[in-house]
Amino acid sequence: MANCNGKKYSSALVLNLMVILCCLSPVLGEGQFTESYLYSLSNFSGLLPYNWPTLAIDEERHEAFVIYQNDVVIFNDSGMEVYRFGDDMDLGHVLAADAGQGDDILLLTYKEGRSLLWRCNYRGEPLAEIALAGLPAQFSDFTPNRLIYRDGQIYLASQNQMQIVICAGDGTFIEGFDLFEVCGIDEEKRGNINFSGFSLDKEGNILFTIPTLFKANILSRNGMVRSFGKSGGAPGRFNIVAGMVADSHGNYLVADKLKCAIIVFDQDLKFIKEFGYRGPKPGNMIGPSDLAIDKKDRIYVSQGRGKGVSVFRLEYRDSAAHGDSLGKLSQIKGGMNRV
Amino acid sequence: MKKFYKINLVLASAGLLTVGVAGSALAFHSGGVANCAGCHSMHSPAELGTYLLIGSDTSSTCLGCHENAGDTVPDSYHISTADADMVVGQGPLQRSPGGDFGWLKKDYSWEVDGVAYTEDGDRHGHNIVAIDLGYTEDATNATSPGGSFLAGDLQCNSCHDAHGKYRRLADGTVATSGAPIIGSGSYADSAVPAVGQAVGVYRLLAGNDYTTDSFATAGAFYTGVPAAVAPATYNQSEATNQVRVAYGAQTAGGVNRWGTWCASCHADMHSSYSYTHPVDWPLAEIADLYNAYVSSGIMTGIVDTAFLSLVPFAQNSGAFATLAANASNTDSALTGPGTGDEVMCLSCHRAHASGFSNMLRWNNDSEFMVENGFYTGVDGALAMGRTEAEFQAAYYDRPATDFAAFQRDLCNKCHAQD
Ligand code: HEC
Ligand code: HEC
Ligand code: HEC
Ligand code: HEC
Ligand code: HEC
Ligand code: HEC
Repeated sequence: MANCNGKKYSSALVLNLMVILCCLSPVLGEGQFTESYLYSLSNFSGLLPYNWPTLAIDEERHEAFVIYQNDVVIFNDSGMEVYRFGDDMDLGHVLAADAGQGDDILLLTYKEGRSLLWRCNYRGEPLAEIALAGLPAQFSDFTPNRLIYRDGQIYLASQNQMQIVICAGDGTFIEGFDLFEVCGIDEEKRGNINFSGFSLDKEGNILFTIPTLFKANILSRNGMVRSFGKSGGAPGRFNIVAGMVADSHGNYLVADKLKCAIIVFDQDLKFIKEFGYRGPKPGNMIGPSDLAIDKKDRIYVSQGRGKGVSVFRLEYRDSAAHGDSLGKLSQIKGGMNRV
Repeated sequence: MKKFYKINLVLASAGLLTVGVAGSALAFHSGGVANCAGCHSMHSPAELGTYLLIGSDTSSTCLGCHENAGDTVPDSYHISTADADMVVGQGPLQRSPGGDFGWLKKDYSWEVDGVAYTEDGDRHGHNIVAIDLGYTEDATNATSPGGSFLAGDLQCNSCHDAHGKYRRLADGTVATSGAPIIGSGSYADSAVPAVGQAVGVYRLLAGNDYTTDSFATAGAFYTGVPAAVAPATYNQSEATNQVRVAYGAQTAGGVNRWGTWCASCHADMHSSYSYTHPVDWPLAEIADLYNAYVSSGIMTGIVDTAFLSLVPFAQNSGAFATLAANASNTDSALTGPGTGDEVMCLSCHRAHASGFSNMLRWNNDSEFMVENGFYTGVDGALAMGRTEAEFQAAYYDRPATDFAAFQRDLCNKCHAQD
């Protein structure tokens, strides 16, 4: 009897498993990855003990920009500091930077109540201010604190004002989004809601999170927003979400400051996995906040408690080509191409 | 076909796909206990942390939302400037009534006549312990001066009830139960609770018998929540318009005076009107001085425009409507005190931190607060290691020209000895 029962049970289990596998495999196969901790951004005296710096990636050169206090610090392909600028400039408080057209660097600063956008040369020496032109009335107070450059367009965001503006390389207004409108958030909450994170996926959709609403969002250029996430501590749920990026496989990676993990969803917004977690090991995370990802699917994680920026490599099941022998290559290449 | 299948799967498996995020709960605490997931992570492995708070400590958890790297301007509920935004020679960014905890990270050193001075950032306020964010226990005070609260236990929830259980009921009394909380009760535009309803108490502050596990025996003895009402916009530069929090005074129904509240941890700093400055004490004839005082040597002010948020007072009332009428961020209510209104701890101190030693609202360490039109004085004589911009930030962006060219300290707003 007992045997029989046991058998029944186990075959039912197998059947169940098969059903689950069948259902899941078409989606799960693609984009599944394992992550491994590579290193933390450092200079010759060791790891940079920053708390929650802002990040940007120079996709062409595989360099990382770290914006901290009044410095823009540039790290090469193997995570070593190669150059820094900003502190001695009279441009105001440096808020954000990104690689611009050609060798240019775009810089966003804040001075005397205004955000200023600058085109700088590769050493960070300002060449010209880029004045925003043609902003509709709705954006007349727009004071951005984040910046992305992609394909000739400049994406600016004010996380406090919940506004995003896209302009041409010369500052001419192209498009603007008020996230209260776009997301349908009650006007009464204006001032009590900010967004976090700011990045683009491959298709040019804008990614951001709203921590107090426990939501991650994908905003397409036609103004449609896909918003997902549920509050909670269980895997796949959100505690306090922060930065968000998309990898080359279309997965969405969302940092959670409280959970101390990165929560991963596939392109259909299905939860895949979490990694990180608070702890002392190099691969652990303390309050992961801003995220950036490079073209080699290395993810940069900005953290608190002086943990600086940890870099993880994502390796995918379905493509050995991606990120192959990256470590070695970049070690050799890690030159001083900017200095 | 395949496309359909996928979309269905998303909807079915995650149920997450929605357009828009409308209809979610209120901002966050909404006067009471917020979504548990904002502070507790029920299923995540944590190395440290108690009560599934995951953050190293409570304050790190709170600051996960109340501090935001990348701020450029004062931003409502942000009360701390992130390390990433702390710039040498500039003050922290927030201008909320409690003050920006970032001042705790501003150490100053300077020299006068060959003598070296230092002013440790610790002196600028309440050193909450928030390890993840670089806030550490006070290096000097082991306990609250005048009391026995352990400095190492000082957390946001030493003063605020993280669960926001204290509530103001329809009859104005404060209790931890009695009716559900419908929203924040801190603001001039907060809902007035109907019978069967309640709102949160001012700033979710700790009330009668409040305790947490971290200080159950460590010396905070609350006997009531203090009364006050803030304008809905309370964190702004005061270069043009002041932010007036209307502090109140009431001693019944679960409410107590501000001095008594602070004395929960600073018992002996509290006035017995003997060795210490009077606190929770009527201004009496001093009200006239306050109202006439404009700046050093200028006594031509009038009561209608006398209010100065650098020297607030407590109105002799705990009634919400009375206080709400004076809570403003547009200079629409600048009426000075009457004789029954009171001097309180917050007349001189801030609650979180300030740009000055002893968490004072103004620079009380120099003979002059402004000299020859500069906070830093003639040739930087008053600089005390600071820049003019840092002073201005500490005065919530008021230009030095708002004061007399040779302005003495602001004790004089009440005492007019200058
Ligand atoms: C704003 C942050 C915050 C939120 C939101 C929050 N908690 Fe807490 N909770 C805390 C803190 C801080 C402590 C530790 C208190 C102490 O030290 O005694 C705690 C402790 C607790 C405890 C154990 C000690 C006690 O007070 O009984 C329980 C149970 C609890 N919380 C339940 C909840 C539930 C249920 C919710 C959601 C309805 C919730 N909390 C929401 C911050 C929060
Ligand atoms: C998930 C983000 C989040 C966390 C975590 C959080 N807060 Fe808040 N807090 C907010 C927001 C948003 C507001 C403004 C809206 C509101 O009051 O609901 C706010 C407002 C407040 C206020 C003013 C409320 C009022 O009604 O006057 C206090 C006080 C406060 N928080 C204290 C705390 C403390 C103490 C903790 C930690 C125990 C904490 N918060 C944790 C987001 C957060
Ligand atoms: C020593 C007690 C104390 C501690 C510790 C404390 N607060 Fe406060 N907090 C207050 C008081 C009192 C007020 C009201 C100040 C006023 O209106 O002048 C306040 C006000 C606030 C406000 C409203 C904005 C403002 O500045 O007026 C927020 C938000 C807040 N506190 C959050 C926090 C957080 C988060 C922490 C921990 C990092 C914290 N508080 C630690 C006593 C405290
Ligand atoms: C929960 C306990 C607690 C409460 C309530 C409290 N304090 Fe404190 N306070 C402390 C502790 C502990 C210290 C010593 C550690 C430090 O200075 O950071 C302190 C220090 C201070 C200091 C010295 C600051 C310095 O560094 O020189 C002042 C001033 C002060 N408190 C004023 C107040 C005022 C005003 C209130 C009421 C709004 C208040 N405190 C409420 C615990 C408390
Ligand atoms: C009239 C202005 C004024 C009032 C009111 C006031 N203080 Fe102070 N407080 C000061 C000044 C000025 C100092 C600087 C040290 C000194 O001169 O004694 C100070 C210092 C302190 C200190 C630091 C003492 C130390 O040993 O480091 C604490 C704590 C403190 N006050 C708490 C309070 C509390 C609590 C209240 C209300 C019960 C209060 N103060 C009311 C002006 C005031
Ligand atoms: C908000 C108004 C206010 C401020 C600001 C203020 N005081 Fe007072 N002060 C009073 C009141 C009220 C009394 C009690 C007067 C009375 O009833 O005789 C008083 C009394 C005094 C006394 C006499 C004490 C006694 O026992 O008779 C001194 C000395 C004093 N204050 C010094 C100061 C100093 C120094 C400062 C600045 C650090 C200061 N005050 C700031 C309101 C204020």
